[in-house]
Amino acid sequence: MKNILVILKKEYLTRIKNKSFIVMTFLGPILMVAFYAGAIYFATQGAEDNRTQTIYLTSQQDWIKPEESTISHDKFLFIKTNLSRDSILNSIQNKTVDAWLNINDLDLRNLDSAELISNGSLSLSQNSSIESFIKGEVRQKILENQGINKATLDSAEVIGSINSLELGDSGNTESSATGIKSGIGFAMALIIYMFIFIYGSMVMRSAMEEKTNRIVEVIVSSVKPFELMMGKILGVALVGLSQFFAWIILTIALISGASTILQSGSSNIPQNLNSAGNISNSNKGLELISELHNLPYWEIGIVFVLFFLGGYLLYSSIFAAIGSAVNQDTDVQQFMMPVSLPLVFGFIIAQSVVFQAPHGNLAKIFSMIPLTSPVVMAVRAPFGVPVTEIIASFSLLALTFLLMVWLSAKIYRIGILSYGKKPTWKDFVKWIRQS
Amino acid sequence: MWPEQNPTAYVQVTLPIKYVNSSRLTAVYPSIPYFRISMIRVEHLYKYFDEFCVNDDISLEIKEGSIFGLLGPNGAGKTTLMRMLSTVTTPDRGQILFQNEPLSSKHIPLIGYMPEERGLYRKMSVVDQLLYFAELKGLKRSQAKEQVKFWLKRLEIIDWADKKMEELSKGMAQKIQFISTILHQPKFLILDEPFSGFDPVNADLVKDLIIELKEKGTTILFSTHRMDNVEELCDRLAIIHKGKKVLDGAINEVRRSYFNNQYDIHFQSKEIPAQLPHWATLESTQFSEFGHLKIRVQVIDPNQVQELIKWAQETNQMIGFQEYVPSMHQIFVDQVKTA
Repeated sequence: MKNILVILKKEYLTRIKNKSFIVMTFLGPILMVAFYAGAIYFATQGAEDNRTQTIYLTSQQDWIKPEESTISHDKFLFIKTNLSRDSILNSIQNKTVDAWLNINDLDLRNLDSAELISNGSLSLSQNSSIESFIKGEVRQKILENQGINKATLDSAEVIGSINSLELGDSGNTESSATGIKSGIGFAMALIIYMFIFIYGSMVMRSAMEEKTNRIVEVIVSSVKPFELMMGKILGVALVGLSQFFAWIILTIALISGASTILQSGSSNIPQNLNSAGNISNSNKGLELISELHNLPYWEIGIVFVLFFLGGYLLYSSIFAAIGSAVNQDTDVQQFMMPVSLPLVFGFIIAQSVVFQAPHGNLAKIFSMIPLTSPVVMAVRAPFGVPVTEIIASFSLLALTFLLMVWLSAKIYRIGILSYGKKPTWKDFVKWIRQS
Repeated sequence: MWPEQNPTAYVQVTLPIKYVNSSRLTAVYPSIPYFRISMIRVEHLYKYFDEFCVNDDISLEIKEGSIFGLLGPNGAGKTTLMRMLSTVTTPDRGQILFQNEPLSSKHIPLIGYMPEERGLYRKMSVVDQLLYFAELKGLKRSQAKEQVKFWLKRLEIIDWADKKMEELSKGMAQKIQFISTILHQPKFLILDEPFSGFDPVNADLVKDLIIELKEKGTTILFSTHRMDNVEELCDRLAIIHKGKKVLDGAINEVRRSYFNNQYDIHFQSKEIPAQLPHWATLESTQFSEFGHLKIRVQVIDPNQVQELIKWAQETNQMIGFQEYVPSMHQIFVDQVKTA
């Protein structure tokens, strides 16, 4: 036990003192925010250019008012034309126009023979927005033909959104806050997923470094390989937790700092700009806050900590065994892939199934399987998982962890002293049997 | 190689050599009369890798305060044996006794092990590294600091104490490696090829340290390819070949046992000045760097040596006469070739 502490201390201190750790601790939250902001920006903006696309339009139908020669919509400019097919295609080739929308159908309600010819510059989303625009225009024309004008149509627009409520144990209905729960669950799953990968591979690298630097033989002449492995796993876990808490504190500081600046900025906005719409928005905000207050934080917190640690310990003991077995970086991938697949799979399950049915069968099954449960359970936690399920799942996870540590220690013991040829899965089995 | 004995039988005798008056003692250990207490006893040790037997029924004893040399060609199983002695691995069969107790993890603080393949943490400072190794061996922090300071001063690298390993030259790293092995003042020191990889200056330094540690009472086992080191340092040695022990004993004893009634005679002349006696066989002739003739002659009976000397003297050409005892190197090569 004392040896585990000595190793833990060394693993922790050398990493904490490392420059890259300090840099990552400070830059991490900033990079993270920048990364997601960037991803969201590019997802919404896309790689599309913002240039207005000029499109020739010929139509056999009469929905376009005869006096209009062009229709401008969003990022498209439709120009009515009677030019011959050849000359239109020519101008597409010369890039004087971007595309040609040719509606041959006489029947208003059928666009089957319509064609959109472009020089390849139109994206899938642009294609579909052109289609939906045209369909909208045609539909309006049809309605107008039946005597319904645009004003009547607009007055029939339904606004607002349904409030999703949940019947609580006390018989009161409370807001189900599905969006917030999904958000929190997903965030926790993401944190667990990333933590396992980042720090699990740190454990692996550390084992591998000691092996390739030939330090390990000296160390195992002083401590048991099991102690070395456990010290390493726990030391790195502590590094991860430290970094994690530093990030939380930094993020809170950043957010509160940013919101102070924003608030002082927004107080300069003249009062008369606070229209009725803004008031209803602030009501929404209040609701959001009360939803946040009503979440089962204790339960979520406990589930998170349990599965966070359980998942990390399980995977890092596997990673440690791999690190002890391989001789060089290039051999790592072969073993990492199959081992990390369940985790990736769990994350995919967490994203799709859980969002649709947090207590569905698929979600239940994968929150029981120890290799996927840390991620899947985390995402389910905010929706309230029965305590029995949590206990069952965690017991399975803990048992698997103990079994894995036992097996990994056996592999580790022999792996760290086996140099030369690249190990195979067969060797792993043999080593387990040997020790 | 030596008579089976009760290891405790000699424990009481702690007098310096001049007072020892036991004829049996000197008969058993002519060259090392006062190593009595067993530090390590290896009994019928086996180790297998897959079906391959790497250590095949090895038995040997290392007396407290002695230096034991382990010899053998590459792949003979020396490292495997040393790993078992340093608790890195465990034997498949047989047992190891440490001061007459089965070797276990409680002996770890008493053992120092320097493997043949050496390594240190590149990113760690010299001091942190040494403290870490010392603490793993169970030293208290304050004790460890004291020892680290002592050895860094002793080997004149105290100025580099706060440097990272990657900033150090190879020679310095070797010194650090050696320090890390002896920091916790082990009673039993295992050195796998301690001179390989060291430059001549550092190799001499290690040699001096080995002698110094021995004088302080440390028992030392080392493996080597270099026979000069063996003859210079070891009290006893064993040769291992293909996993088996082929020879074991005190150096002089071993060499003596290979004495085969051969004598070297040096002559001034370029040719053998007279006909050899009929009972003597000429083994070899060669010329020394000064142009003298040296012949090696074998006799059948040790008593014939006087007659051989007489014969040589009568030629009036003899300038030297010497018995020929094979060197350790010769014995090693013979053993490995014939085994």
